[in-house]
Amino acid sequence: MPDRKMFWRIIRRLLAANRGRLFVILLALGAGAAITAALLNLQVDATRRLTTEFRTFGANVIVSEHQSEQASRSPTMPESVLDGLPSSNNNRSISAAAFLYATVEATVYADEQIGTKPLWSGPVIVAGYRYIGNELGNLIPYKVVDGKNTVVRDTDICDIGEQVAKQSHARPGEIFKLRTQNAEASCVISELRSFGGSEDSQIFVSMKTAQGLTGLTKQVSLLQLSVPGTPAQIDAYIAELKGKLPDVDVRPIRQFTEGEAKIYNRISGILSATVALVLVLTGLCVMAAMTNVAMERRNDVGLMKAIGGATRRVLRLFLAEAALLGLTGGVLGAAVGILLSMWLGKAVFGIAARPRLIVYPVAVALTIIVAIAGAYPLRRLANIRPAAVFRGEA
Amino acid sequence: MFLRLVADSFSRRPRHKLLTGAALALGMAVATAALSVSLDVGDRLAREFRSLGANLLVTPQVDSLPLEIGGVDYRPVNAGAYLPESDLGKLKTIFWRNNIVAFAPMLEIQAHVLPMGGNWSDTSLIGTWAEHEVSLPNGGTFSTGVVKSNPWWRIDGRWFSENSKECVVGIDFARKNGIKVGDFLSISIGGYVTKIPAPEKVTGILSSGGPEDNAVIVSLSTAQILAAKRSQYRKLYVSALTKPEDDFGRRDPHSMTPTELERWSCSPYVSSIAYSIKQVLPGANVRVIRRVAEGEGAILTRVRTLLWLVTFASLLAAALAVGASSAASVIERRTEIGLMKALGAGSGTVGFLLAAEQLLLALVGGGLGYALGILLARLVGQKIFGVAPEFSFLVLAVIVGLAAVVTLLGSAIPLRRASRYEPAPILRGE
Repeated sequence: MPDRKMFWRIIRRLLAANRGRLFVILLALGAGAAITAALLNLQVDATRRLTTEFRTFGANVIVSEHQSEQASRSPTMPESVLDGLPSSNNNRSISAAAFLYATVEATVYADEQIGTKPLWSGPVIVAGYRYIGNELGNLIPYKVVDGKNTVVRDTDICDIGEQVAKQSHARPGEIFKLRTQNAEASCVISELRSFGGSEDSQIFVSMKTAQGLTGLTKQVSLLQLSVPGTPAQIDAYIAELKGKLPDVDVRPIRQFTEGEAKIYNRISGILSATVALVLVLTGLCVMAAMTNVAMERRNDVGLMKAIGGATRRVLRLFLAEAALLGLTGGVLGAAVGILLSMWLGKAVFGIAARPRLIVYPVAVALTIIVAIAGAYPLRRLANIRPAAVFRGEA
Repeated sequence: MFLRLVADSFSRRPRHKLLTGAALALGMAVATAALSVSLDVGDRLAREFRSLGANLLVTPQVDSLPLEIGGVDYRPVNAGAYLPESDLGKLKTIFWRNNIVAFAPMLEIQAHVLPMGGNWSDTSLIGTWAEHEVSLPNGGTFSTGVVKSNPWWRIDGRWFSENSKECVVGIDFARKNGIKVGDFLSISIGGYVTKIPAPEKVTGILSSGGPEDNAVIVSLSTAQILAAKRSQYRKLYVSALTKPEDDFGRRDPHSMTPTELERWSCSPYVSSIAYSIKQVLPGANVRVIRRVAEGEGAILTRVRTLLWLVTFASLLAAALAVGASSAASVIERRTEIGLMKALGAGSGTVGFLLAAEQLLLALVGGGLGYALGILLARLVGQKIFGVAPEFSFLVLAVIVGLAAVVTLLGSAIPLRRASRYEPAPILRGE
């Protein structure tokens, strides 16, 4: 097919004729494609990453015993509920902790010789806990005010809230002796924590210790869960949990679920709007640059028409050139863009954004469309009269 | 002569100039819109985060250890300390008064409640402000209360009005005791009931998703009378606009030098706001609610970085496209440059002429792009936050400067090559 051979030969020549010009077009198209790919990839990844980020607020779901008619002050439920929780929601793992609360008479001693004079004594709430998934700090965020790595054999370790420390003047390394009517336990203070809530006036011990103190074996007061996901996914998880655990009360912590939903919608809205804006205008911008470059082809069009090229064939030639440029610019630019978005993801969220395969073809296709659209004004060149071009008019 | 050449170049090739100008204007519009939105978004989002409620908690300094489980304090009325209500107006006199969005004092006591035609049951009674006008020391008033500080609280019916025998009942407590809006209930405090107190009318059912669902809520003054603690409260929740804490903000103010302390207290960190609240409320201990404050700080920082990166990317894209377009407009003028040089113009003169043209274009295109971008930013801001971003001279300066730099840089490389052109081959058409 000599015809096709000629076609490609002309295209080759067109491209090779002016290296500077070729470079400029590829730069514009490539930059457009890179930005498109980077932003699309980041957008898909960021909304997902945000929902994970929201879990810095800690627990958003509480599971507790049904509030029954003659509820005693601290109703309990079996500890096995904690291990029976569905451990993931949309492939993202859920953190949860069980708590058992008890009021105890606490006494502070300076060291292990408990026989010495007590430093302070008074009623305190003890919270026994056991978690699955991430640490306690992910469920009830706190700041460690003071801490000591204490490794004492045969002694439990406990962490105390800021208010407890303020009242009792207890410091890390000292001993707390906890007593109830029928049992007692002692522990070494490890960390002093600031929560800014009711946890500030509690002593955190292991679940075993709390159960031993209260005599409530295998019982817990409540469960706190940190469920990641979009607002709709969290609702779905709560519904699933309600179905699975009909004997207990599952409820979202509305302060956080509602606030988060509102903020999530705002942030993803602003991100989508900015990305859409940038993409549309980048497209227009690249198109304007392409058109500028294409318009200077009038001499070539005039010559081709003068030696007998049909308007449609000439036009096809230039559109093919534009498509080829779009393809090259898109393939190169989009690859750069995806790498860029991975780096950006690392800069923002500390984890490289996962490249989405769908983004690549979309970005390349968009670039080709923009390139062709940019060359489209050449259609008007079809009305060019060759003679006028050669005389240097018009 | 110089001006005539420039004017001639514009009038002779209006289409080319228009296209280059359009590319410039569009690119700068993206940059403007992205820049204005990201400059503004931090403040807007910080306000949005207040829908999570209070981030500061004020309690009495000398207090007995609260016996609190799940947000319910089981201490008797006479245990522990209280704070005076009359000091609350001072909150709006601190340096960061405009950052204090809302506050609500709470007086929580254990009470016996008797619904009409029902049985006595024990629950907690919370006295607070629903919507209260606080009189300020400077003579004005400030309207605040749980309606503002806890926006996630939903009420079925209406809030109680102050100084009347009205109350609101938590949804769980209402369900357990079959209480409906319009019912009456009697509330009593203390060991045992000698006579049934005058009933309060239930005006609404509260759903909060927290311990309040199981409580009876009355106005602060009613609770003070019941508890015989006139003009006192036990806890104060403060919702304040803050700046995310960085390493500097986390430092202990006691270890700072005077200059550092000044810088610290002049940044609205949550801890520095807590510090200034503490100074106007004697005997109070101000704590940061870590859950709310730290999560907010972390997310705000991330979102801000993200938006800055998007802005930076759009600036880059705009710069590249504009640069490419101005490079193209110089390349196509080889013949003209050749002719000028053949007529005796030096490379400097030619470069200066072309640069002047580009700068003129940049100014016009950049200005137009700025106007377009501001419109877009308003649209986006209006759509998402309901408020248009504020006008900023910084953006205008950055945009016009960027337009000039980018067009000049874009034309610099082809111009340099153009200055090396030999006129003869170009004029021969080679």
